[in-house]
Amino acid sequence: MTESVIRNKPGMASVKDMPVLQDGPPPGGFAPVRYARRIPNKGPSAMAIFLAAFGAFSYGMYQVGQGNKIRRALKEEKFAARRAILPVLQAEEDERFVKEWKKYLEYEAEVMKDVPGWKVGENVYNSGKWMPPATGELRPEVW
Amino acid sequence: MASVIDAAGEPIPTSSVLMSAAKHIEIKCRPENVEFLKCKKKDPNPEKCLDKGRQATRCALGVLKDLYHRCKDPMEAYVGCMYYHTNEFDLCRKEQKAFEKECPLG
Repeated sequence: MTESVIRNKPGMASVKDMPVLQDGPPPGGFAPVRYARRIPNKGPSAMAIFLAAFGAFSYGMYQVGQGNKIRRALKEEKFAARRAILPVLQAEEDERFVKEWKKYLEYEAEVMKDVPGWKVGENVYNSGKWMPPATGELRPEVW
Repeated sequence: MASVIDAAGEPIPTSSVLMSAAKHIEIKCRPENVEFLKCKKKDPNPEKCLDKGRQATRCALGVLKDLYHRCKDPMEAYVGCMYYHTNEFDLCRKEQKAFEKECPLG
């Protein structure tokens, strides 16, 4: 019933003559809508992009090389300082070692004094070179 | 532990002191150090190279004492900085420059 009240056309004979209430385009139609592709073809060329990337890469590698030179110089300084003080430290350790070795030889002589045919002291390898003692001891009071 | 000399006036050869003076020791004690290393290369037995070791140590301690007497304050600052930064040269450039200005190398 409401439809006929809303869509009433004066002078209609039956419901079948009701004007159609539709949502439609405005008079004259809608404005035209662009749906075609428009991808612009400007900007840097492939060669330009490649050269820019290659330039950035080579600049970066150059900076890496410079940084490596600087780091090598710093390391060389540290190692040269260590080389300079190495004899002092080694001499210190040698003195300590000789003292401890003498004590150890006396101890060995006392322990093995009743063993026949034991040459006390230097009972190390046969090559003739001096080798540091390989007792396998851990001596935390020294280290 | 960042002091150059002890109570009796003798230099203490700790790592920071030795590393601070390393460039001076390298130049002034080169003959003794080279002799010691040659002796070691010939025979690694510690008993055979004791005298050359004593010469090298005497030279190095002499350098430390001499540096301390010539430029006490820059040296103490440099040694303190090295002790704080665990012997990193790159973190003590300011003190190193002041020290080497007072007591130049060579």
